[in-house]
Amino acid sequence: MRTITTTVSALAAMSLSLAVAAPALANDDDVIRRGSCSGATDWKLKASPEDGRIEVEGEIDSNRDGQAWRWRVRHNGSLSARGAATTRPPSGSFEVRRVLVNAAGTDTIVFRARNPRTDEVCRGVLRY
Amino acid sequence: MLRVLKNPVVQFLAAGFVTVVLVLVATARLSGTAAADEAIEDAIATTELLARSVVEPAMPPGLVAGDPGALDRFDRRVLSRLMVQDVERVKIWDTHGRIVYSDQTQLIGDTYELGPSERAVLASGSLEAEQSDLTKEENRYERNSGGLLEVYTRIRSPEGEPLLFEVYYSAADVEARRTEVLAAFRPITVGALLALLALTTPLVWALTRRLRRASLDRERLLRAAVEASEAERRRIARDLHDGVVQDLSGTAFALAAAAREGGAPPPALESMAGSLRESLRSLRSLLVEIHPPDLATIGLAGALEDLVAPAAAQGVEAELDTSGLGSLDPGAAALVWRVAQEAVRNVLRHAGASTLHVVVTGQGPSGRLVVTDDGRGFDPGEARDRTRFGLRGLAGLVADAGGSLEVSSAPGRGTTVCVTVGGA
Repeated sequence: MRTITTTVSALAAMSLSLAVAAPALANDDDVIRRGSCSGATDWKLKASPEDGRIEVEGEIDSNRDGQAWRWRVRHNGSLSARGAATTRPPSGSFEVRRVLVNAAGTDTIVFRARNPRTDEVCRGVLRY
Repeated sequence: MLRVLKNPVVQFLAAGFVTVVLVLVATARLSGTAAADEAIEDAIATTELLARSVVEPAMPPGLVAGDPGALDRFDRRVLSRLMVQDVERVKIWDTHGRIVYSDQTQLIGDTYELGPSERAVLASGSLEAEQSDLTKEENRYERNSGGLLEVYTRIRSPEGEPLLFEVYYSAADVEARRTEVLAAFRPITVGALLALLALTTPLVWALTRRLRRASLDRERLLRAAVEASEAERRRIARDLHDGVVQDLSGTAFALAAAAREGGAPPPALESMAGSLRESLRSLRSLLVEIHPPDLATIGLAGALEDLVAPAAAQGVEAELDTSGLGSLDPGAAALVWRVAQEAVRNVLRHAGASTLHVVVTGQGPSGRLVVTDDGRGFDPGEARDRTRFGLRGLAGLVADAGGSLEVSSAPGRGTTVCVTVGGA
């Protein structure tokens, strides 16, 4: 079932892997992770409850418009969604949103994006 | 209040109201059954459509095995397309009773025992519809739904595994359809009944009034008949006392005097014999008045002769014409006799006439009688003495036999009574 990450645990995770992910909370039920990609790009991964399901939002922010990226979302290790997106003004970013079935136990969600031209890779993970 | 309830029109309206209520209840039940059947048919058709057009084409490999990504993709593809209109819940079961998918995600992965009919559908691939048992654990999320209809059929996973696709529909839809069907039928049934009531109520009211009037007439005629009978007895007693009894007393005194004197001269004896014959004639006439003669024995003509015989004693010149009279049927003869008796009696008692003509014609079932006098007559438009109901009563009798009776009269111009029986 769903695990509600408390502010204390989020801060502890941030201190352990500060270079990869920076967790933050929008409200009690949301889980947010932030981090830097292998280049200069930042990523953000957010999970929220959605009518018995999990709404997942992945964001790539490169500050450059027109970059083509390929992305995928894995749910408990299985491919849930994938696609391609292009960063757009004004922020030079893109965001994808998908709804996942909230499985029994803790759900592990991985958001991975890759820029085929620069080969930059972003990878965000959260447990929900 | 009780008097109002006894009114036939009120009773008719009450019966009509009860009928309308019964028809409403019956049509509500019938429309409920029809609507339920229609709703089940619709649900079956919708389930079949969802199974073949939505679920099977969208099912990814790995769903049955519980692959989370396959589950996510399937859920995103079908959820909004499955939860249409009155669909309340969707479940997909594998053959072991495990819920592979449901819009209620907390049910996914749970295992429940499949019922016999569900296993039969899994084996045959048919469609089944039944009322949901909301006490079952698998239906714990629908317990407040107010009743569900579940329809299930078999589908196949991409791997070829048979699955049970189950769709739950709200019972509120059945009720809505029942109301819809009832609304369509109600104006026809109730409207027709109300129109029938509206049309027949004035008829019932008029019929009731006519029956009440007829009843009052019958009562009045009965009273008049009783009073007439009383008057007739008094008259007969008076006639006997003033007529025959006086004559017989005089003859008795004369005979007693003759006996005391040792005999009487022949003229005196002849006078006494004449007096006795006159008394006998009076008694015969009286007998004819008191009791109808046996028409079959003496015939109508003979009876009419006896009827007019007393006229001479009252100074009325009577003429009876039966030359056109053949053999009348007994019913027609009896009717002609009764009218003639009443008409002649009226002439002798009330008309003050000097002449009386009685003409009878006819043969078989048809006969005609005309009784004419030159008496004082009367105005037929004036209210008559209640005791003189005789001819009015006979008019009804003649009409019942299919004949007619007409009375023509005017003050000072005599009276003519004409009766026709059997269409003569």
